[in-house]
Amino acid sequence: MTAISMEGVSKYFDAGNTVANYRLDLEVADGEFVVLLGPSGCGKTTALRLIAGLERPSEGAIYFDGERVDDRSPSDRNVAMVFQNYALYPHMTVAGNIEYPLKVRGIPPDDRDDRLEEVTRLLHIEDQVGKSPAELSGGQRQRVALARAIVRQPSVFLLDEPLSNLDAKLRQEMRSELKRLQNELAITTVYVTHNQEEAMAMADTVVVMNRGTIRQIAPPGELYDRPRTGWVARFIGSPPMNLMDGTRRNGSVDLAEAGTVRFPGAPGNGDGTVSLGVRPEDLSVSAEPPPAGNAIEGVVDTVEPMGEYVLVNVTVGGRVVSAKVADTDLEREDRVFLTFEDDDAYLYDENGELIAPT
Amino acid sequence: MTRDTRTSTETAPEQRTDAGRYLPADAIPETAPSRETEWRTRLTEAVPTLPRLLKYVLAIGVALLWIVPFLGLFMASVRPLSEILQGWWNVERMTFTLENYRQAWSYSTAPMGRALLNTFVVTVPSVLVVLLLGAMAAYPFARFEFPLKTALFFLILLVMAAPPELVAMGNYNTLRNIGLFDSYMGLVLVHVGWGLGWVVLFLRNYLLGIPEELEEAARIDGASRYQIFRTIILPLSAPALVSVAVIQFTWVWNAFFFPLVFMRSPDLYLAPQVLPLMRGRLQVQWGLVAAGSVMTLAVPVILFMLLERYYKRGMVAAVTD
Repeated sequence: MTAISMEGVSKYFDAGNTVANYRLDLEVADGEFVVLLGPSGCGKTTALRLIAGLERPSEGAIYFDGERVDDRSPSDRNVAMVFQNYALYPHMTVAGNIEYPLKVRGIPPDDRDDRLEEVTRLLHIEDQVGKSPAELSGGQRQRVALARAIVRQPSVFLLDEPLSNLDAKLRQEMRSELKRLQNELAITTVYVTHNQEEAMAMADTVVVMNRGTIRQIAPPGELYDRPRTGWVARFIGSPPMNLMDGTRRNGSVDLAEAGTVRFPGAPGNGDGTVSLGVRPEDLSVSAEPPPAGNAIEGVVDTVEPMGEYVLVNVTVGGRVVSAKVADTDLEREDRVFLTFEDDDAYLYDENGELIAPT
Repeated sequence: MTRDTRTSTETAPEQRTDAGRYLPADAIPETAPSRETEWRTRLTEAVPTLPRLLKYVLAIGVALLWIVPFLGLFMASVRPLSEILQGWWNVERMTFTLENYRQAWSYSTAPMGRALLNTFVVTVPSVLVVLLLGAMAAYPFARFEFPLKTALFFLILLVMAAPPELVAMGNYNTLRNIGLFDSYMGLVLVHVGWGLGWVVLFLRNYLLGIPEELEEAARIDGASRYQIFRTIILPLSAPALVSVAVIQFTWVWNAFFFPLVFMRSPDLYLAPQVLPLMRGRLQVQWGLVAAGSVMTLAVPVILFMLLERYYKRGMVAAVTD
């Protein structure tokens, strides 16, 4: 059982020409499930490899339970890792794959068999042990990779986009299974993904990364309720939050031809360029202007019937704003009004930092 | 909407929820339905068009051109000299005999049997040592970063570019000075050095194609560098190693120039050296030469056939990566 701590960790490649990670500060508590979330190329995999010991930090320090581990090899850190393409050894059977970490550590065959049996039962792959990895389906390979990782009872469990090679249905299944497994074993887990839905569903804490740095560390609920920057807001939710550029003046936001929105609650009285954010699920669409409250005017661009809800994309001042509604008769080119409660609006300043709600 | 197939077929189409618009699940065949065609149509479909026919003729012609000398060699080796002198292609009144083989095997000045054994003694270590050293040298070139990596690799490639005649002169003097001239040890060393160039290049290219993640997974699993090499890299490069073994074996086995330069004692002669000695004094003993040749080339050919499915995979992988 291990707590991980990264202090000012940076990683440069190509003799400093590529900055993969810049000054990461991260605390992972013992037994916590942390998800590193970000678009591809944001440095989340490098961060994971730094924790694993496959890369050495260019600057900064990494601690496991207060002990500095930068110079230790992956095996000394007792980490286990599941790779995106599983990295199963193709020339060994499933049993050979799962037993490999035990074998290279010189654990006697009898113990190995016991552990193999235990872990295959846990992951429901008892019937597959004699097969070669090439004979397995994607989901089964995934389970074998997981089995190989947990068989030697690691102190830290690292997963690099483990579900991205599975189809949608299987991904959902494995998602809940992974979460159950992590709860049962209570191993400190760091999980990398670019899929925000996966991150929200599994994490105790989500770490949102962009351009090699951490943008926000928060539990899923808080991340959704209070995205710290406009960039994070645009990354979380499906579809993500709508952000509309405007000018702040005397407690209201001027959205040019789309209208003006009152925003009395915001702190400070700084005027200037701002972004107004409203989540699609907080917007309602109507053909008539509302008698009171805030409204944004626009023209329907497309209507996407999703079954569970209808997504209405409305062009507002040159950019598309999405609204999730239960049902609609609207069609393309209809002139509409988007309304929302005052509490559901977010305000970001020109640097993308959150101004309101406080 | 799921219903089991039996119900869906037994229900009249108009009573089903889809009003019979879709195929029921049990109407899908397991295999493609057989195409019923007349033999006449099938025959016309099988006859090639004229340009295609010309290509076939050309291809078959070239193939024959390659095969004919081998056929002649084989025929000459199993017939008495008198028949060979009238042309091996005259098949009337052909006598089949293994006499040539028997005589060649124990030919007085240079018995083929001993020469073949000598060739084995030289070839086997030359192949095994090249395999081991080649794999050990190729792995760092494929995976590690070290100073002068590119320069050193270029140096190894240079060996491939040098003509054997050039190498032979220097090696002749060296072997004389260190007392390994006219010994198998010396010859094996020359073969190993000569072969390492292409072996390292070949194996390095193959190793580059092995996903690095497998090694990273093994590192995380706790394996040392040596354990990774032995339990992951070597088994995975088996196809490439077999290819290298087969090609190097053939090269060393058939080598004429190096033994000619470095082996002086007739007792130690190798098979390719012995063949020209079988001509005889008064008349060229075509039958003996042919039988000796067949015996010499049979060994690599058998090896090729035995290991075909392994080295094919190795070659393809080495080229595509």
